[in-house]
Amino acid sequence: MLNKLLATVKKEILLLLRDRVGLSVLFLMPVALILVMTLIQDSAFKSINEKGIPVVFVNNDNDSLGYQIKQGLLSTDLCYVSDSIDGKPANSESAKKAVSEGKFLIGIVIPKGATASIRKNVSAMVSETLNGSDSLQKQTDSVEITILIDPVAKKSFLNAVTSNLREFISEIKTKIMFQTFSEQIAEVIPDKNNTPKNSYQKSQIIRYKEIFASTATEQIVPNAVQHNVPAWTIFAMFFIAIPLSNSILKEKTEGSVFRLHTMPTPYLLLINGKILVYVMVCLIQFLLMLAVGKFLLPQMGLPALVLGNSMMGIFILTMATAFAATGFGVTVGTLATTDHQAAIMGSLSILLLSALGGIWVPSYVMPEVMRNISAFSPLNWSLEGFYKLFLRGGGVEDILPYAIKLMVFFFAMMGISYLANHKKRTI
Amino acid sequence: MSNPVIIEIENLTKTFKHATEPAVNGISFCINRNEVFGLLGPNGAGKTTTISILCGLFPATSGKVLIDGKDLRTELSSVKNMIGIVPQDIALYPTLTARENLAFYGSMYGLYGKDLKDKIETWLKKLGLIDASNRRVSTYSGGMKRRVNLIAGVLHSPAILFLDEPTVGVDVHSRNVIIQHLKEINAAGTTIIYTSHHMEEAQNFCTRVSIIDNGKIITEGTPAELISRNAGSTNLENVFLNLTNRKLRD
Repeated sequence: MLNKLLATVKKEILLLLRDRVGLSVLFLMPVALILVMTLIQDSAFKSINEKGIPVVFVNNDNDSLGYQIKQGLLSTDLCYVSDSIDGKPANSESAKKAVSEGKFLIGIVIPKGATASIRKNVSAMVSETLNGSDSLQKQTDSVEITILIDPVAKKSFLNAVTSNLREFISEIKTKIMFQTFSEQIAEVIPDKNNTPKNSYQKSQIIRYKEIFASTATEQIVPNAVQHNVPAWTIFAMFFIAIPLSNSILKEKTEGSVFRLHTMPTPYLLLINGKILVYVMVCLIQFLLMLAVGKFLLPQMGLPALVLGNSMMGIFILTMATAFAATGFGVTVGTLATTDHQAAIMGSLSILLLSALGGIWVPSYVMPEVMRNISAFSPLNWSLEGFYKLFLRGGGVEDILPYAIKLMVFFFAMMGISYLANHKKRTI
Repeated sequence: MSNPVIIEIENLTKTFKHATEPAVNGISFCINRNEVFGLLGPNGAGKTTTISILCGLFPATSGKVLIDGKDLRTELSSVKNMIGIVPQDIALYPTLTARENLAFYGSMYGLYGKDLKDKIETWLKKLGLIDASNRRVSTYSGGMKRRVNLIAGVLHSPAILFLDEPTVGVDVHSRNVIIQHLKEINAAGTTIIYTSHHMEEAQNFCTRVSIIDNGKIITEGTPAELISRNAGSTNLENVFLNLTNRKLRD
């Protein structure tokens, strides 16, 4: 039996090596996908980060509020701030027009007398507090800062940006209010030693620190490389369903199966030979993709892939993914009756499973219904497993549920193939 | 002394799913050890279905088949060790060389090592393929492919060899070489079951013939007996045409 298995493995390797086009699809396609998708996503990310979002700033205030907001925006990477449009100083009307034409993504208009208005309101509050007068309600004059938004810009992106802007403007307003309040208090309480110094900074009793939650010993920063390398590697591994199903169909159409079924060798052994070879192909694909992520992408100015803590976890999950992919290929090859059918059935089902599995669009941005469906895609199980390893710093115990699901999928596919093959032969 | 009958077929019937008529309809016949038995018939007569059942490709609907005393339904795996098949289609891997193809098929019959290598070498020499043996089969002529197809079926020296139109589409030279070697294989003790549309070849090659039509055996005997039984027939082709009606078959 071992001799027969080895002969089958040898035959499959020779068939693969002689199919240069098939081989290039298996190895070059995923490399190209990783390079293209990572470069696109990384450059999009960089273009926002390096140049910043184009913002037109109209400062009608010409006092502390307007000045500090402008300085704050200039000092951040988030924005590229301009206070002129086509060489002319911006005003409310020209800013609105420029944003509506898409020249700027966002416009900020600080109204005239905004700082004075804040000071006036604070003075009123102080007077009310100290003198008990009811002047506040009469004198309150709220400051209205206008944020102009390009209607073409994506809503989710704008929400994030405007939310940041609101928070930033609000902080500056509060700072001015604090300073005014401190000055007012100092006037009322003449002891100069009691004058609050840096009162605003002292008021920051809660601070925020943002870190990426991961148990990895090596610092893992989520980026296009960490997402794209595992995603497109899984896609490529499942793509072997097409050459594998083609190999099974070729044996049918070229008549080899006819001869093989008459031989004293179980058909399962012949299929096992194929599975072994294609699992090896998947492993080579995986190693190649890791090498691309680790060594080639950094040469192109991209971050290097960080593998996380668990090499054993990576090995187990890769093997399980490879078996799931080959099992799927065997099923497609068994169910299809022509090359054409296998190619369409194979490629469409992989595209569908990968879209559902979060390869193209992360599953967490999908609607709930689609997220629930996504949980049934073997590509999703594999991707979630690799995210655990590559992004969350997980170990073997974290990926075992995904590896088990993938192996169950493999055995289910083999069961379906066996039944379909048995049915075809008992015509 | 062993049983002179190597294949016994009794009331064999095969009806495919969704078919209204059986493809093979209760046929019974015996094939003797060391015979060259011709199963002849027009297209759709049931000969390929019969051979497919005998090779274990799919089961019969009813009836009994004994091959060397072994029941095909219960002892299929040991029957498979005894048989070889040369299918009508070239059942080879076109991107592999002749040597690689034969090494693979030989291994599937349990041959390996020096024994396998020697047998491949011998057969490639016999059939004039040794010089081209390291070339891919896809570069071969039709006749060369047929010869490799034949070797793949006989490499393991089977007791019974099924030949489904082994010389279809080949030139006279290749046909002569193939038939000559089949006769040698038969002389060495292999029983041959042969189907063909080439009546002259069947007449010269077969020791006994059955003509099948519409799933039933309509006559059986040696070529000479069949010719003498049918008045006015001078060869097997006349007999065949007279017995199967001269109308076209699809």
